[in-house]
Amino acid sequence: MNQISSAFTLFTSLLVEAMPFLLIGVLLSSSLIFFLDENKLITKLPKNPFLGAIIGSIFGFFFPVCECGNVPVARRFLLKGLPTSVAVSFLFAAPTINPIVLWSTYVAFRGQPEIVWLRVIFSLTIAITIGCIFSLQSDPRPLLKPRLAKRLTALIEGQKEEKNINIKEYSLLQSGSFILGEKGKPIKMTQSLLDDTDNNSLSLWQKWDLFINNVQYELRELGGILILGSAIAASIQVFVPREIILNLGQGTITSIVAMMILAAVVSICSTVDSFFILSFASTFTTASLVAFLVFGPMIDIKSIGLMLSIFKPRMILYLTAIAAQLTFIFTLSYSYFY
Amino acid sequence: MNNSIKQDFWLNLLDIIAIFLWSLLLFKYWITGELNLLIHPNYFSLVLITSIIFLLLTIAKIIQLFNYYQKNHNFHNYTNNNQHSNLLPKGWASSILIFVAILGLIIKPMVLSSQTAMQRGVTDTLPPTTLETQSFLTQTSPEKRSQSGAVRSLIEWVRTLNAYPEPDTYTGQPANITGFVVHLDHLPENYIYLSRFVLTCCAVDAYPVGILVELPKSRSNFPVDSWLEVQGIMKTETLPPVDSSQNRKQKDKRQLVLQAKEVKTIPTPKNPYAY
Repeated sequence: MNQISSAFTLFTSLLVEAMPFLLIGVLLSSSLIFFLDENKLITKLPKNPFLGAIIGSIFGFFFPVCECGNVPVARRFLLKGLPTSVAVSFLFAAPTINPIVLWSTYVAFRGQPEIVWLRVIFSLTIAITIGCIFSLQSDPRPLLKPRLAKRLTALIEGQKEEKNINIKEYSLLQSGSFILGEKGKPIKMTQSLLDDTDNNSLSLWQKWDLFINNVQYELRELGGILILGSAIAASIQVFVPREIILNLGQGTITSIVAMMILAAVVSICSTVDSFFILSFASTFTTASLVAFLVFGPMIDIKSIGLMLSIFKPRMILYLTAIAAQLTFIFTLSYSYFY
Repeated sequence: MNNSIKQDFWLNLLDIIAIFLWSLLLFKYWITGELNLLIHPNYFSLVLITSIIFLLLTIAKIIQLFNYYQKNHNFHNYTNNNQHSNLLPKGWASSILIFVAILGLIIKPMVLSSQTAMQRGVTDTLPPTTLETQSFLTQTSPEKRSQSGAVRSLIEWVRTLNAYPEPDTYTGQPANITGFVVHLDHLPENYIYLSRFVLTCCAVDAYPVGILVELPKSRSNFPVDSWLEVQGIMKTETLPPVDSSQNRKQKDKRQLVLQAKEVKTIPTPKNPYAY
């Protein structure tokens, strides 16, 4: 009984600490509806693939979205004809390289600021590397889902009808404006509203409604996952014998691998994942904590599910493999040299 | 209202209830001081602000819902967010949020106990996540200090020991410390480990630190997890290290021990953690 009660206390402590940061993240990403003119921003981007990869990866500062928000944005980038390198590096860096995530990581690891730095450096390097790799493929269409590729073809050829749908339909910075499993049918959600308008021509009142709905949606979905993740973290801390965790967490390689698997499974939002990982801070190596913080926002069950709406499975496999290898090599060499 | 609009209405309502309950829960933690048991005081105001924003959000959402069912039949197209790719099935996320909020409203958080301390491993060193001492001013108030001649709190003793580990330096110094009792089986009958948790962020990273206390009688008089105020004189003893266990036998070493003169049982403090 005592065990359960202390697990519950740890669980609520994680939630109470994480909730404000989740809320700030959600409010900011939703408020982009008011502030950001995506179309304007896109025209100012460099077309050079390498520069694009760098710009794309620091875009997170202007799009403070976590893993659930970045996929729709990356998808719109692609549909608007941006180079693959920009979209891909944005996809991988944005959940980490943004002010809220850095703040929450700092709060959680005030005593170990190197974790914050390593997280930034490794995430940026990996995102830019992956961006550069895919800049070799100047035409993104073979990587995309057939439906999306077709739309892009249509866009490029300037077919007017198609174009209307493409651009108008996705002009909202809303994390949910696409669907996973809908067979061949694009979303109807905001179509009736946006058929002849763009996000910017909406009245303030309509924007407010979209804002509230987006906050509600993201809070609900991310909050639900946060709760499941916290429950896992608290139970591991209380119910798994210390000896087992220590054995796993003190090995250089086992700890990194364990943390990367944990990151992929738990799917916790990047604004609050540092609180989650804090519960392992005293038993796991620093390198493995960094591996969790770098790999988790890039690849996990949730984000793979979302990415399936953009890329072919083969492409996701490549992305996962590259990200995993790079994370492993970087963190391993960190633990080797320090 | 057709079925899908009805379902939409209920899902929206579920969300509103979830957000409201969370606002309530955070407020309850704040107003009752139970936040002390959960997170570092630096973030108390963040929790209060979050609670207020949740409340405002609840109100905004109710107004929106009311407006649209009153005036706008296009409501379904407008707010139907449920087609978004959800990781969890429809309605689950909000149900989980509601369920946990209700649990939180009913169940009081507890003070972390010696069991947690043993699980996390007692040591005499500070954890990696603990901040270095920001200032060397002591936290003990001057009035209290003059009574007993003791200057440092338990945490300050541990910090000082981490900086200058030689136990002989402190021999003969008076001390007056409070903490909870941990029994370490590998130590002699009359020893306890007087411990406190140090918090850097939240209860999840609470880390037990402590000082060995030599009691005048057997430790069985002082049950595990009871809170004590111990007054005494510091001395050096050769004992097995606190972090040795049956699986990991270690050599005895010289350690700082508080020889208790006066032991008082005190109630669990409202704010049991140190920062």
